[in-house]
Amino acid sequence: MSDQFATTAPDEAMALALRRIADSEAAGRGSEMAGLGFNQVVVNMGPQHPSTHGVLRLVVTLDGELVKDVIPVIGYLHRGKEKIAEKRTYYQYIPIVDRTEYVAGMNCEWGYVRTVEKLAGIEPTRRAEFIRVIMAELNRIASHQVGVGTFTADLAPLGTAMVFYAFRHREKILDLLEAASGARMMFNYFRFGGVRYDLPDGWVETCRELMLQVPAWCREYEALVNDNAVFLQRCLGKGVMTQDDVADYAITGPNARASGVAHDLRRTRPYSVYPELDFEVCLGRHGDVYDRYQVRVDEIRESAKIVLQCLDMLPAGPVQLGTLRAPYVVTPPPGACYTAQENPRGEFGTYIVSDGSRYPYRLKYRDPCFVNLQIFPKLLRGNKIADAVAISGSMDLVLGGIDR
Amino acid sequence: MALPAIGSAGLALDDVAARLAAALPSDLSDLRVQEPDTVVAVVAPAVLHDVALRLRGLEGLAYESCNFVAAVDLGDGFEAVYHLYSFAANSYLELHVAVPRAKPVLDTVSDVWPAADWHEREAFDMMGIRFEGHPDPRRILLPDDWVGHPLRKDYVDSIENHPNV
Amino acid sequence: MGLIEGVGLGPIADRIHYPNISQFERPNVVTTTVDFIFSWARSHSVFPFTYGLACCAIEMLSSGFARFDVARYGMEVFRPTPRQCDLMIVAGTVNEKMAPVLKRLYEQMSEPKWVIAMGACATSGGPFYDGYNVVNGVDKIVPVDVYIPGCPPRPEALFQGLLELQKKIQAMRIVPPVPADDAAVAANARAAAQQSAADLSPDDLPPAAPAEELPGEALPSEAPVAPAAAPADLEKVGD
Repeated sequence: MSDQFATTAPDEAMALALRRIADSEAAGRGSEMAGLGFNQVVVNMGPQHPSTHGVLRLVVTLDGELVKDVIPVIGYLHRGKEKIAEKRTYYQYIPIVDRTEYVAGMNCEWGYVRTVEKLAGIEPTRRAEFIRVIMAELNRIASHQVGVGTFTADLAPLGTAMVFYAFRHREKILDLLEAASGARMMFNYFRFGGVRYDLPDGWVETCRELMLQVPAWCREYEALVNDNAVFLQRCLGKGVMTQDDVADYAITGPNARASGVAHDLRRTRPYSVYPELDFEVCLGRHGDVYDRYQVRVDEIRESAKIVLQCLDMLPAGPVQLGTLRAPYVVTPPPGACYTAQENPRGEFGTYIVSDGSRYPYRLKYRDPCFVNLQIFPKLLRGNKIADAVAISGSMDLVLGGIDR
Repeated sequence: MALPAIGSAGLALDDVAARLAAALPSDLSDLRVQEPDTVVAVVAPAVLHDVALRLRGLEGLAYESCNFVAAVDLGDGFEAVYHLYSFAANSYLELHVAVPRAKPVLDTVSDVWPAADWHEREAFDMMGIRFEGHPDPRRILLPDDWVGHPLRKDYVDSIENHPNV
Repeated sequence: MGLIEGVGLGPIADRIHYPNISQFERPNVVTTTVDFIFSWARSHSVFPFTYGLACCAIEMLSSGFARFDVARYGMEVFRPTPRQCDLMIVAGTVNEKMAPVLKRLYEQMSEPKWVIAMGACATSGGPFYDGYNVVNGVDKIVPVDVYIPGCPPRPEALFQGLLELQKKIQAMRIVPPVPADDAAVAANARAAAQQSAADLSPDDLPPAAPAEELPGEALPSEAPVAPAAAPADLEKVGD
């Protein structure tokens, strides 16, 4: 069995890191403490690591505690979903899209279903559109709770109480999602032209009560960490992303909005019934770790507002087109199409090339975490290794989307 | 970089198409509008890098972000699809670049759009399209010693790829 | 023994009766008590290894937090390093790139160790069974004790798997029970017991009772095998 960590020969990523060290020392830019006899060392974080949020491997070149270079190595969760798409029908593939960004399954399903609907010319029903928005926003709250919770859990290993509160509240949202779709995480709820099940009796009232509690949840999260001196010292001013970085590296989502770039696809490229809804785009000012965290907490509040409006505006009607049989077999005409959603982590889109058969010809994901991870080396350079954990937590990465 | 106003409509797609046709008359062929948010064009591989630089610096319409680079296997050749976004125009531009199957080589645009870096690595990993001048042309998702490019339609899995089964 | 003779304790040492270790070839009250204590301790304080790879990791996290509290089973100590763990919960899809890492981490755990394959992907490849890069089940790489189906399994399902594992841990024995139908092994144990009874001085122990037949179906052609008829190499089994 090939053991790529054999001590005799480093693998390609480590070899690259060692080559870069050798090059920098040859160019006279070696360790800053070379006078004291220090060398630059290559440290391997991951792929199994408590703070890398999944199987992300960071090959970090350290000079003492300063990070000189980071080479992210991904692919430890690569399941070949784009190739699997070519072997499944459009309908059979819906559950697999759930598992792309597994914390935000509803949003991912929407990204795929919307592209196929656009290719095939299917219009979803109006009630289904509202239900889709409700599910997506509930999933956004749950996803941000995971993101913010695990971020604060990383700063002190499970030492903050906030992650427990966040997950406890998340369970209440998962109860709602389970009542509607039947599953806590992998929902398999969206269909071409609508959603699978209508909302059960009493769901709307329960959801409304829960959403009215959400501002209190956010106040609780902020009360727990926002004034903590250690939290502020670890988060303020670290990992600053400028607006030029956001454009260069195509950063989207809360990471971009924390830098002041008001790019929220629900507003800039609205889809579904978002033009009829009233909500604010949460912006940060400095683009540091603290702003990325705060933008997510603010977005939880805004999502609750959106859900309350949708519950009030929910029209009566069918949630699926036609009979149960109709949307099972979808054969879009030949062509290519890309649609994008505002996922909790950024712009999630699918580019589907269809050849007129029941199977997609080519499915390409535009995953926000894959794109956001490219800025990692730039953000981490010059920071200490402990800040690397804070910065990577604030980027809210989910490896399912990065590796697909 | 200009901060886009929230909810700004940007430019109309026909306007964008007209301005692109005026700015790059010979390089963007087959220019058409795909509602609601995309302008589609075909670019020849030889002028790809030049077109990229000019699109990046276009007055009032600069395409600053590269959303993704997709590699598609068209049977008789490969196609690289560059999906770009302009904040000012608030719309996408989709460039299709075709390369022959026998020699799938393209110029890299990772110096124009740093976001294209890993997408090009993935295109190489999955489809085998090589990008000249790429700073780090390694496989990204599969193990380094993987044999073959899985997303090709004629991909046959070899037993050397599976020491663990 | 040179030191003891030199000090002059030789005659005393010869008279000390060391307990015959062959007593512990069969379960007895000491070994069953030890079994009970060790099993209770091991099964109620399992240290899981945070090996969440994919979506099942989020359900594993949820099971560790407030609503589904894994601490009530004593398993809340999720250690990130394999050196300090005894249970590896493989939660998620294993692919060819991750497999050597998994094997290496499994080897870094110290005995006794168990593996739970959580989720459909770890059991058999799951929804990605035909992925070119996916290993169809983690049991192709490490031995698995409990399989938990589901995609993802609910925290309650994970707990059922953990309880099954607790039962399995509690079935561990220091001394294996003597099989009822292996006449030669039983006869050897009887011979060793009689030998040890003969070694001890008569006023220390009551007379050695013949070893009772173990419960089990009586084999039709079972004839008691005399100790002298036992083959020579079987004698060494009892040492």
